[in-house]
Amino acid sequence: MIPPEFDYAAPGTVSEALALLAEHGDEAKVLAGGQSLLPVLRMRLNAPGIVIDISRIEEIKGITESGDAVRIGAGATYQDVLDSALVSEHLGLLHKALTEVADAQIRHRGTVCGALVHADPAGDVGAPVLALDARMVIQGPDGERTVDASDFFVDLFETAVGEDELLTAVEIPKHTGWGAHYEKFVRVSHQWAIIGIAAAVRVEGGTIAEAKVGLTNMGSTPLRATSVEQALVGKEATEDAVAEACAQVGEGTDPPSDLNGQADYRKHVAGVLTRRAVVAAAGG
Amino acid sequence: MAMELHHTFTVAATPEDTWALLTDLEQVGGCFPGATVTSATDEEFTGNVKVKLGPIGVTYQGEGRFVERDDEAHRAVIEGLGKGLRGLGNASAKVTLQLKPEGEGTKADVTTSMNITGKPAQFGRGVMQTVSDKLLGQFVECIEGKLTG
Amino acid sequence: MTAVDDRPAEATHEVGRDRRRKEDQRLITGRTRWTDNMQLQGMLHLAMVRSPVAHARITGIDTTAARESTGVIAVLTGQDVKDLQGSLPCAWPITEDQKAPPHPAIAVDRVAFSGEVVAVVAARTAAAARDAAELVDVDYEDLPAVLELKAAAADEALAHPDLGTNRSATWIFDSAEAGTGGSVDEAIRDADVVVEREFRQQRLIPAFMEPRSTVVDPTGEQFVMWSATQVPHILRLMLAMTLGVDESKVRVVAPDVGGGFGGKLQVTPEEIITFLVARHTGRPCKWTETRSESLLSAHHGRDQWQKLTLAAKQDGTVTGLKVELLADMGAYLGLVTPGVPILGAFMFNSIYKFPAYHFACTNVFTNKTWTDAYRGAGRPEATFAIERMMDELAVELGRDPMEVREQNWITHEEFPFTTVCGLEYDSGNYEAATERAKELFGYAELRAEQQRRRESGDRVQLGLGISTFTEMCGLAPSRVLGSLNYGAGGWEHASVRMLPTGKVEVITGSSAHGQGHETAWSQIVADQLGVPFEDVEVLHGDTQISHKGLDTYGSRSLVVGGQAVINAAKKVIEKAKPLAAYQLEANVDDLEFTDGKFTVKGAGADQEGVGLAGLALAVFAAHDLPDGMEPSLDADATFDPVNFSFPHGTHLCAMEVDTETGASRMRSYVCVDDIGNVVNPLIVEGQVHGGLVQGIAQALWEEAVYDDQGTLVSGSFVDYTLPTTADTISFVTDRTTSPSTSNDLGVKGVGEAGCIASTPAVVNAVLDAIRQYGVDDILMPCTPERVWRAIQHGQAGASRPTAEDAAGHFAEGEPNQDPPGPAGVTGATTTTQEGGQA
Repeated sequence: MIPPEFDYAAPGTVSEALALLAEHGDEAKVLAGGQSLLPVLRMRLNAPGIVIDISRIEEIKGITESGDAVRIGAGATYQDVLDSALVSEHLGLLHKALTEVADAQIRHRGTVCGALVHADPAGDVGAPVLALDARMVIQGPDGERTVDASDFFVDLFETAVGEDELLTAVEIPKHTGWGAHYEKFVRVSHQWAIIGIAAAVRVEGGTIAEAKVGLTNMGSTPLRATSVEQALVGKEATEDAVAEACAQVGEGTDPPSDLNGQADYRKHVAGVLTRRAVVAAAGG
Repeated sequence: MAMELHHTFTVAATPEDTWALLTDLEQVGGCFPGATVTSATDEEFTGNVKVKLGPIGVTYQGEGRFVERDDEAHRAVIEGLGKGLRGLGNASAKVTLQLKPEGEGTKADVTTSMNITGKPAQFGRGVMQTVSDKLLGQFVECIEGKLTG
Repeated sequence: MTAVDDRPAEATHEVGRDRRRKEDQRLITGRTRWTDNMQLQGMLHLAMVRSPVAHARITGIDTTAARESTGVIAVLTGQDVKDLQGSLPCAWPITEDQKAPPHPAIAVDRVAFSGEVVAVVAARTAAAARDAAELVDVDYEDLPAVLELKAAAADEALAHPDLGTNRSATWIFDSAEAGTGGSVDEAIRDADVVVEREFRQQRLIPAFMEPRSTVVDPTGEQFVMWSATQVPHILRLMLAMTLGVDESKVRVVAPDVGGGFGGKLQVTPEEIITFLVARHTGRPCKWTETRSESLLSAHHGRDQWQKLTLAAKQDGTVTGLKVELLADMGAYLGLVTPGVPILGAFMFNSIYKFPAYHFACTNVFTNKTWTDAYRGAGRPEATFAIERMMDELAVELGRDPMEVREQNWITHEEFPFTTVCGLEYDSGNYEAATERAKELFGYAELRAEQQRRRESGDRVQLGLGISTFTEMCGLAPSRVLGSLNYGAGGWEHASVRMLPTGKVEVITGSSAHGQGHETAWSQIVADQLGVPFEDVEVLHGDTQISHKGLDTYGSRSLVVGGQAVINAAKKVIEKAKPLAAYQLEANVDDLEFTDGKFTVKGAGADQEGVGLAGLALAVFAAHDLPDGMEPSLDADATFDPVNFSFPHGTHLCAMEVDTETGASRMRSYVCVDDIGNVVNPLIVEGQVHGGLVQGIAQALWEEAVYDDQGTLVSGSFVDYTLPTTADTISFVTDRTTSPSTSNDLGVKGVGEAGCIASTPAVVNAVLDAIRQYGVDDILMPCTPERVWRAIQHGQAGASRPTAEDAAGHFAEGEPNQDPPGPAGVTGATTTTQEGGQA
């Protein structure tokens, strides 16, 4: 790979990184795992003046318990998260979704927070994070702020993170005991999701007490299927019972049309796969 | 890849006033997202467009001009041709404007189309289509904003 | 028939053993030398400037900024080299009146496809070259581009205005005219059943693992070119002919080459350009492509429309087959571009006894990357079409598709069999392969399950697909190639050198690029000369060492190149015989040679005899040789085959189709191939598995797609969905054996078999699963969306070309035409904005 020439900085602290961002403005690109930035540099579809590598910042590494939530630092790779007992126990949906990310090499390099800031609607991280009501921890020149996942994704490749800010962690409320399933629809295994359905349900006595459903690649951002979630509550956790609630999941979405499928096809498949994801999440 | 977008809106102003605004190339050219108009005359303009989206950041340099202009019928066709920096390939856009009186105001029909060749079109997953779609949308929105705002 | 057949199966023999490949340690560990690993003193690096547009006049090229860029030594454009570069060779003009434009390595005043080279930058580092290439400023004046094959055939726009037409040539074979069969028109006229279908062979990209790379060193007496090529010998000859350089002043080396699949059976613009720049600068030059460049500009494969008309009697007996093809050449003719569809001409009749046959192919130019050989070259296209047609005939007759095939195929008693194309199939046993395949597959049980699923309206439907294929390989008898206007012969050359220490060097004109020739040739020579496997060194791919050869493609290496090696080895034994007789004080006629030793017939088992190694040393010393004996045991042989070899097999595929989403999943795949005798079963397995995946990929996954501007939008592996092991299942493979009669080993080619056979088996299976919805064709690749639409709408939904998807974002009636954001004060877009649910 031969990218255009750029300067490179590897700050040791968040404040150093923020200072560099402030200094270089839109000439700077942040590198965490590099799984989105490097392909673009390789294709020479960008030529940043400086690449700020945040992978050596110790303070944003690690996955920790934070009250009712699990906090995933910006330095954590997909594989770090997959290997985390905290995540397996409390965030089954995220765990399932991450097993579907690309391939082992990418999972060992790419970071969860990097993928969130990249905000590719076809990425597998956005939908579960959105569905699980995560909070995004953003640091900037004015200190730290927290943004709800529902306000985080703005548009295609656009998030609430400003040019002079860094996403330093994502905090995801524990969903201990919830059933979860991520249904990724692809033609070949290493592909971006044609669509993906992230479903988590809490079942009480055979009935769905709570449901959370996120959609991958059904619009210019990850989406939350709130109407489906509401319709599922109180339904028996069986295929027949949830089918109707799930069938209309594509309504009101604006999915892309590309080589893998037209928008109407994606909407149809979303209905089928939401049903399957919910049934699987409910243990069916 | 080629994209086309139709948009219709009404403006409170008369067709004549609207026409004057719409045929100001500096205003029209400047409405393109990321565009900086560096020079403009009655007939043509030059400038650059910086498309910045997520990981992608590409710049086109180009010029635009009227290829058709009928001040009586209030119909104009403006063409812009951009050459991508760093061997990127070309992008071209065509804007067809048609004004018609409607009640007290004016009904504007704007048809925009865009062609992109080269590297961005190869980016994959039809992402550049979505991007172009968005750019055209913002462009039309800006024009509308200028007229109605 | 052959010595091999009669030979008792002894463990001491190498042929037939599943030897681990001797080349794998260095290949797998990377401790080897690929072209891109070459580093020469003072070497420059090249970067190509490529056209982003499909068809345009070049109105100006400003190279000032590039020349001034750091580290740049030279920038050359088409104008700079137009009198030096010649025209890239096409070795296979299929007709006398074939039309073709000149094929410049660097476009001079017009580009004809997106990706064509318009300038080259030479710089001190690869990065400097790449950076400077972006500074070359080219002005294009767009010309109308013709992209779609049928539109091109209708001359709706011209890919090359000067030609006056897009039609390059039409090639016809007619069995009535050739005297090899009856008249197809009469057969169709008199038929009880006529099945007419049109199939699409989508465009594919060979996608070899090692990107192309070329190094040229002009500093010695010979120009030395290292290149990731399948064809070093052909390349050397063509460089000489194209550039007007003495052939003796050019040496070509194909070091270890990482795959080709036909994609490196080419003389590339970049090879010519690297040569020109090296000569211009007087310094070694290297060019290595990026993967994006490779997908964009290395030649593509397939791309045909196929119209077939099959005539049959009511009882299912086939009576005639008419084949009309449109083949997309792309923008230029490469080395064998026009001949690729013609290689299929003799294969549409396949294993069936058609009494009448007509084949017509029209080659057409478009403004796309040019096409050329891709694994199977012509034969996958033919096999796909005929195997699809046999299924269609069965459906038409309401009969089991295997039964209809069986009724029409050549039975094993009928070999040798002369086909309606005039080819003589020497051996085969379709019944035996089919029987074994059905047994391994559980054909009857799967049919029963299919029935159950249909009756219960299961969400997942099951389909069974058959492909009873044959192919012609071992390219090729030279006189046959001559009759097809091919520019070269089909022989192969080999040498065997006996070293004084008893070790053996084998020089082959075959040019392995992943096939395992070093191992297989060692096994063959070990048996022939009775020397240990480890003592055989196989040398190839360097025209200074292997001075003569026709390289590797068309499943020819073993059946042609392997035979040349055997012939050379036999000559060595013959040359050694007089010396052995001299040493044993026996008559030459009384000697026999077994397991590396000459002994005297009838002299008992305990005689010592003389070994080949000892004789080699004696010859080296040359102190005591028979009078007049040349002090050498080394021998050369050039072998020209008298016939092709005809592997065949029965491939059975079960596909599950999820009728709710259209997604299909392979349930099982069984293939029983008859490739004659086998030198190394492990290598054969590798070839079969790899071939299967590539053929299955055509059926399900791969397609090169262009948008309406002529830009390749499947230009990376994001969109060119190449499968990996994660996408495939474990195949069940087995073999039956009818030895070939055209070579001593009794072997047939295997390099392309899996790729040729598997595509129709998969598509037939997908269709078989959803026929009940009124579907009788689905365009390849059978994407979930296409399958789903087919189920929804029957035939109508299945045939939407992918090209529309490339520009599908503004498809009529699609809701995503809305501009984002508020629609304006009183605004209304042409379609309604739907509310988001987020």
